[in-house]
Amino acid sequence: MVQLNRQYGREETANETRKIRVIGVGGAGSNILDRALLDGIDHVELTTVNTDVQSLTGSVANQKIQLGRNLTRGLGSGGDPELGLAAAEESCEEIQSAVAGCDILFVCAGLGGGTGSGAAPFIAKLAKEAGALVLVLVTMPFTFEGRRRCAQAAASLQLIRENSDAVICFENDRMAELTLPRMGIHEAFAAADVTISQSIRAIANLLLQPGLIRLGFDDICSVLRDGDARALFGFGEADGENRAHDALVKSLRNPLMHRGEMLANATHVIVQIRGGANVTLGEVGIVMEELNRHVSHRTQLMMGIAIDGAMGSRLSVSIISSLGDSSERPHKTEVYPALQEPVRLEPVPAQPAPEPVITLRLEDERPANGAKLDQVEHLAPETRAPIETQAPKKDAAKEADPAKPALKAAPKTIEAKQEVLQFDAVSRGRFEKSEPTIIDGQDLDVPTFLRRRVKVG
Amino acid sequence: MARDNIFVGLEIGTTKVCVVVAEARHDNTLKILGVGNAPSRGIRKGELVDFETAKRCVHDAIADAEERSDVEISEVYLGISGGHIRSFNNRGIVVLEEGREEIDEQDLEDVRTNAREVSLPMEDCVLHTIIQHYYVDGQDGVLNPLGLFGKKLEADFHIVYGIRTRIQNAIRCVKELELETADVVINSFATAQAVLDKNHKQQGALVIDIGGGTADFVVYVEGAVKQSGVIAVGGDHITNDLSIGLKIPSARAEKLKIEEGDVTLGNAFPGETIVLRDETGFAGREIERETFNQIIHCRVREIFEIVARQVDADQNLNYLGAGVFITGGSSQLRGIEHLASEVFGLPSRITAPLPLTGVTSAFEHPQFSTAIGLVRYAHLVHLDRPMARGILSRTMKRLSGIFRT
Repeated sequence: MVQLNRQYGREETANETRKIRVIGVGGAGSNILDRALLDGIDHVELTTVNTDVQSLTGSVANQKIQLGRNLTRGLGSGGDPELGLAAAEESCEEIQSAVAGCDILFVCAGLGGGTGSGAAPFIAKLAKEAGALVLVLVTMPFTFEGRRRCAQAAASLQLIRENSDAVICFENDRMAELTLPRMGIHEAFAAADVTISQSIRAIANLLLQPGLIRLGFDDICSVLRDGDARALFGFGEADGENRAHDALVKSLRNPLMHRGEMLANATHVIVQIRGGANVTLGEVGIVMEELNRHVSHRTQLMMGIAIDGAMGSRLSVSIISSLGDSSERPHKTEVYPALQEPVRLEPVPAQPAPEPVITLRLEDERPANGAKLDQVEHLAPETRAPIETQAPKKDAAKEADPAKPALKAAPKTIEAKQEVLQFDAVSRGRFEKSEPTIIDGQDLDVPTFLRRRVKVG
Repeated sequence: MARDNIFVGLEIGTTKVCVVVAEARHDNTLKILGVGNAPSRGIRKGELVDFETAKRCVHDAIADAEERSDVEISEVYLGISGGHIRSFNNRGIVVLEEGREEIDEQDLEDVRTNAREVSLPMEDCVLHTIIQHYYVDGQDGVLNPLGLFGKKLEADFHIVYGIRTRIQNAIRCVKELELETADVVINSFATAQAVLDKNHKQQGALVIDIGGGTADFVVYVEGAVKQSGVIAVGGDHITNDLSIGLKIPSARAEKLKIEEGDVTLGNAFPGETIVLRDETGFAGREIERETFNQIIHCRVREIFEIVARQVDADQNLNYLGAGVFITGGSSQLRGIEHLASEVFGLPSRITAPLPLTGVTSAFEHPQFSTAIGLVRYAHLVHLDRPMARGILSRTMKRLSGIFRT
């Protein structure tokens, strides 16, 4: 068997290093950071942001920002996103200095509570304005946490989608599938943290470590910026003789992947194979061939191979992709009206407790279209501000009035995006419970006439 | 005790379990002594999903066959299918050591082993290593290199593999009924033995066996197996599509498919309907024939298109002189051969097993292609089996023999 030789690995070049920062927002966010640090994550700066001083002091991150020093006085936000947001706005400058100069910013938060739901969209927005590629990784609350928390989370998720390049959304309900029901709830939460820290690590490693076949910042951007901001992620690591197959299976078993079914709709898929010096060509072949069965023939597969001595005899497979539906493109271009608009910066709150700019509407859990409009109205223009215009001068903040026509376009995207959230399958009838037959990314158990949209009758 | 010249083929299909008992006669022909049948349950897409239920069905079919043929069955040739079965072609190379120039049996075995040495996932195991062509010192067209002089022996093989545990399930099912499994054969090969003669194989042929749960196909080019595959889509899917599309119960859809199934489009009179009479638990209604045909047409066309794509990927479509042979239960859909001709651009026909002697007339039906193919396979193995039963020579001879013919 052909052995890939280590010498072929390119030296890491200094000019390629990217500054990556991970910000954990709120209690859940800082848990994720702790987990990431525990698992070992290099060349990445960690920042914890929280309103609750107690939780903040417990965090292991090397930089900590207390939100709303005057507003909450070191207490938590009490599950109130508006308070969380107000607190974040109070500490706006601190956040801005933390995100300044970052190339990639991961924002981790648990949605549903106060600080995470309120502050995370705001932080994402600030980072985006500072020119970073913003990836937000959030957990959605368990259904049993109550309708209100779920609604808060959904509202916040919508704002985050608007304010970031990509969102990887982990539903705790699905995460629970990773653990057995009789395990402690704390383990179920921990499972989510592990998965999130894995994805951060995988993306960070992809960018930082030299590869035989290298994947870089540009590839990530093309994959994540291209989609509709709903990222797919899978990570698997395995050891032993059959590690290539096992690692791939594990990565597809990730709750976000739906056993690989979701990949069929992706236009770009990044796959990175990492292993020690003994990765064989055969193993790479196995991974790629099996993966190819899950993607459609139009999908562009970008493969990276990294040789990392620290991996020992293990081999890992990371798959990153985003759901891209070309039919939604037209909507998207419409929502870049900010291109023509002068950049309107968030009025920087100089005094404590400013008027919140992002208002989370929670009174009615399913807002009608009109309500939705209100909700994002203030936010829409600057979130979509292109990078060139976004190194904003402070005085730009003064010219306040956003142009109304620009705002009108915003709600459309939101609706389009929301549709993607529901991925309940079409009817598979009696094959509902059997192993799916997937060829070329098509689920053959679904009636052909439905898949091909042949009109019958 | 079973006699030495009795062969039993067992096909555990998604719709039915079928057992064929045949006797090899002195003039090297095969006579069918009896066929046992049982509707199957606990099997989906060609694989066991409910072990105990499936075992009972196999037991019923075996008992039926024993009764009809008056033979006590002790050993079966087992047909295997399922979406996990995959295949590829690979070449093995052996260089003879210094001072030796004649190719012997060990070299043939070594070249086979060499070809199998590819990295498969650990959970998989090789089912068949079928010889395609030998090359001696680069010379093409060597039929049997044994005893030839040469320095380098190369051979192309078609290697079929599947997930070990799933294959073991079927074997265990047989074993728990106190039966021995003589050999495991993938269904598509078995079927090809039943429906193709030597000439077809030489001219090049594509056999598609559309059963209840799977569509198995095999491509013969120049007498050798060039390609094979299993697509886990079959008649069950058609039934399911009808059930969903026409909103009728599954059992009713199955019956309707068998009675009226047709893939022809544009052949129905405008407004022509099929009347479903009311039964207990089902209010009768009328179904537009064109709609009905359309649903089946879409599914069958898709199956053919997938096969065509896979065969075409290796550019084998151009070598199929004998055309396409469609068999299996679902080949009973009316007009399926025309649809196949259209998709493959090749002459296509529905085919039943080639005639054998014995109580055959009832079994010269596409449904029984695989089960009869299994006994033909067993017979061919037996014919090729040398008197001296060295395990090496046996396996080698048998495989080289069968698939060359």
